[in-house]
Amino acid sequence: MNHTTNTSSINMKLLLLLILLSLTPTPIFGDKTLIETTCRATPSYNLCMSTLLTNPKSSTADLTDLGLIMVGATKAKATRAIQQIKSIYRSHPELRRSLTECGQMYIAVVRADVPSAVQALDGGQPKFAEDGMADTAVEAQACERSFTERGEKSPLTKVNRDIESVANVARAIIRMLL
Amino acid sequence: MRSQTSPDVENPTRTSLLDADYGYVPTLDPTLPPQPQETRQQPSKPILLLISGLLAIGLLVALIVGNVHIETHDNDVPSPERRNPIEQGVSEKSFGLPGDVPPFSWTDEILAWQAPVFHFTPGKNWMNGPVFYKGWYHLFYQYSPAAPVWGLIVWGHAVSRDMVHWRHLPIAMETDEWYDVNGVWTGSTTILPNNELVVLYTGSTNDSVQVQNLAYPANPSDPLLVNWVKDPANPVLVPPKWINKKDFRDPTTAWLTPEGKWRMVIGTKVNKTGIAILYDTDDFKSYELQDTWLHQVDGTGMWECVDFFPVSKEDDGLDTGVIGPDIKHVLKASMDDDRCDYYAIGNYNPKTGKWVPDNAKIDVGIGLRYDYGIYYASKTFYDQNKKRRVLWSWIKETDSENSDIKKGWASLMAVPRTVALDPLTGSNLLQWPIEELDKIRSDLNEFDEIKLEPGSLVPLDVGPTSQLDIMVEFELDKKITNGLSVAAGVPYNCAGHGGAGVRDAFGPFGLLVLANQNLTEHTPTYFYIVKDKKGVYSTFFCIDQSRSSIAKDVDKSIYGSTVPVLEGEKLSMRILVDHSIVEGYAQGGRTCITSRVYPTEAIYDNAQLFLFNNATNITVTASLKTWKMGLMTKNESGWVWLGPSLILVVVFFFVVWTWQNQRKNRS
Repeated sequence: MNHTTNTSSINMKLLLLLILLSLTPTPIFGDKTLIETTCRATPSYNLCMSTLLTNPKSSTADLTDLGLIMVGATKAKATRAIQQIKSIYRSHPELRRSLTECGQMYIAVVRADVPSAVQALDGGQPKFAEDGMADTAVEAQACERSFTERGEKSPLTKVNRDIESVANVARAIIRMLL
Repeated sequence: MRSQTSPDVENPTRTSLLDADYGYVPTLDPTLPPQPQETRQQPSKPILLLISGLLAIGLLVALIVGNVHIETHDNDVPSPERRNPIEQGVSEKSFGLPGDVPPFSWTDEILAWQAPVFHFTPGKNWMNGPVFYKGWYHLFYQYSPAAPVWGLIVWGHAVSRDMVHWRHLPIAMETDEWYDVNGVWTGSTTILPNNELVVLYTGSTNDSVQVQNLAYPANPSDPLLVNWVKDPANPVLVPPKWINKKDFRDPTTAWLTPEGKWRMVIGTKVNKTGIAILYDTDDFKSYELQDTWLHQVDGTGMWECVDFFPVSKEDDGLDTGVIGPDIKHVLKASMDDDRCDYYAIGNYNPKTGKWVPDNAKIDVGIGLRYDYGIYYASKTFYDQNKKRRVLWSWIKETDSENSDIKKGWASLMAVPRTVALDPLTGSNLLQWPIEELDKIRSDLNEFDEIKLEPGSLVPLDVGPTSQLDIMVEFELDKKITNGLSVAAGVPYNCAGHGGAGVRDAFGPFGLLVLANQNLTEHTPTYFYIVKDKKGVYSTFFCIDQSRSSIAKDVDKSIYGSTVPVLEGEKLSMRILVDHSIVEGYAQGGRTCITSRVYPTEAIYDNAQLFLFNNATNITVTASLKTWKMGLMTKNESGWVWLGPSLILVVVFFFVVWTWQNQRKNRS
């Protein structure tokens, strides 16, 4: 009798455990693992995770798609930087030269670097995608220096650092494809 | 390429797509209207005198200046507007990857020097289907019109009589069909027996699937092949189901099988095995995949730009598809994984469709390379005009993309090289710059038997050194030269020996190109002889970029490999310097190295040439010839000015005649 009671209580516990487990939200293990392992190998894990997870496409993405998402984020930030530059331009005539230079740099990012990386990733030629993101990081640094070299306080420090980081993450993902 | 019109052809065509007008020399306009006009009013005497005087001076100037080399420095690619922000070195946190280094303060002047003069270079470019057709050499190249970065690729087109002077034509094929809207990629030309020409090329579709498409000249009687037609049946070939849709590209020139079908090769991969598969066709529209693969090599990854051609010891060049008992076949592929072009020599069985390498240890992808520097996506074509096989290759930039955007261009082609089987070794190819390049040599300087003791450095006074052709021979102690052997099949690595600054018993010795006076910047091209444990000597040929520039955001690798040296041979190298590209050929082209260098001080008049011997135990005797390389051929330099000069003479005499008439009328 004891034996049966023990078995049935074990069964009950198992059943309870199973019920509890099924109630916990099951993460999509396959994809999150890919996202996690990918982001761990980039220089900005948190930025990488938040950028990818907030994009619904990331749940079914392969590594190339993750790269494309990150390049897209880079483009979005660079586009916003250009808008920000335009809005500061009027009110800060003393910064106009630096702002103009930065504008040109980010236009180069949006017009050349990003399409190049997208075309390459999309076309199965990741080896041509790295340069675009490497250059984006360089342009972001150069924009910041435009101000500091003139002894000006940069109004774009946060956005420049942001773009540099996300471009470096994109580049790291692209290198994983090589 | 900063190219030049030759005076015997019509005006260069403008391309509607590209803003800049390149290939157009700013000569005097031959349609200059003669003045004065035939009007009723006679111009007054002093004015006539003034005009004729000015014209006479102009004629004089034209004749004197006639031999000056004209260079065009056209910016071929409309790039995003850029100023030149001064960038100073800033140490950045890096995650260990190359390239995260402080950028140099590249000025426009330094960047402008980098543009090569006698290499083909419009904007960003790769390789496509070169061919000789109806008297013209055609170069179709992968072109990125939007910016000096990789992007949406179209087929650029240029023609030449001699593969040295180019005329740029409009884009041959654009991304205007769903099956190539994401890129008109690499393809090859096949000339059919009736002299018809067809092109098979890879298109990247709207879904980025790689498919093969058929195209042909819109007007086959147009020797310039300006317009092209894409077959309505395209795509004629789609990837087989067992291959990844993005691993199916770069079809080769086709040849006739014994069964009378056209056969071509496409490279692809299965897992990590690179493979070359065969397709047969009757009409270039429907294809049968052959069951046997041409060849495969484990662990080499994706094979791009496969090339397959016959060679023999007896012939310098054979048309694709030639078969025979003494004929070997070269199988070449560009390895996507390491971005190098590899080849192997072997035997092709036309019945089984299989190719087997002579030496499996140096099979495709793991053995010999065309070039041990920057050299990729290369392709040969059979030049039926001069019965030789010519090799073209894409040479990328190794500076930062930032610099490329600033200077407005990126990438070029190496000089075209003839490629043939080495008749002495039989186990490697020989590459040599085409003989047409000899025509743009001038200002020969010869140096005989310069003795270079250990540790010597000898400056060579040859004038400007940014555009040079150098042929140098080194003689060594007989005891050492007799001990030199043909290098074993396994390729060695110059990088492992630390560059030209590392002194050893028997090397390094060679040249310093693009060197400034105090040698803070210099690019050694050199030989390095080593003796292994068994006492066997082998010779390395290397180009060392580690001190080529004080800038940090450029590649500083040391390139090279062993080179076979047969008994009794002197060591010889030929070096072509064309601003930021240096091409080296050792032992007649047995081992070749192409390198990109971006000096900041050793430029313009400060670039110098030295001989050096850093060996500790041997004295080396060097004999060399140097030529200046310019785009004007010796014949042409005066001719360009002949037209305008003649017109000036005619105008001058007309003015004098009018004046005489005036005098007669009055008297």
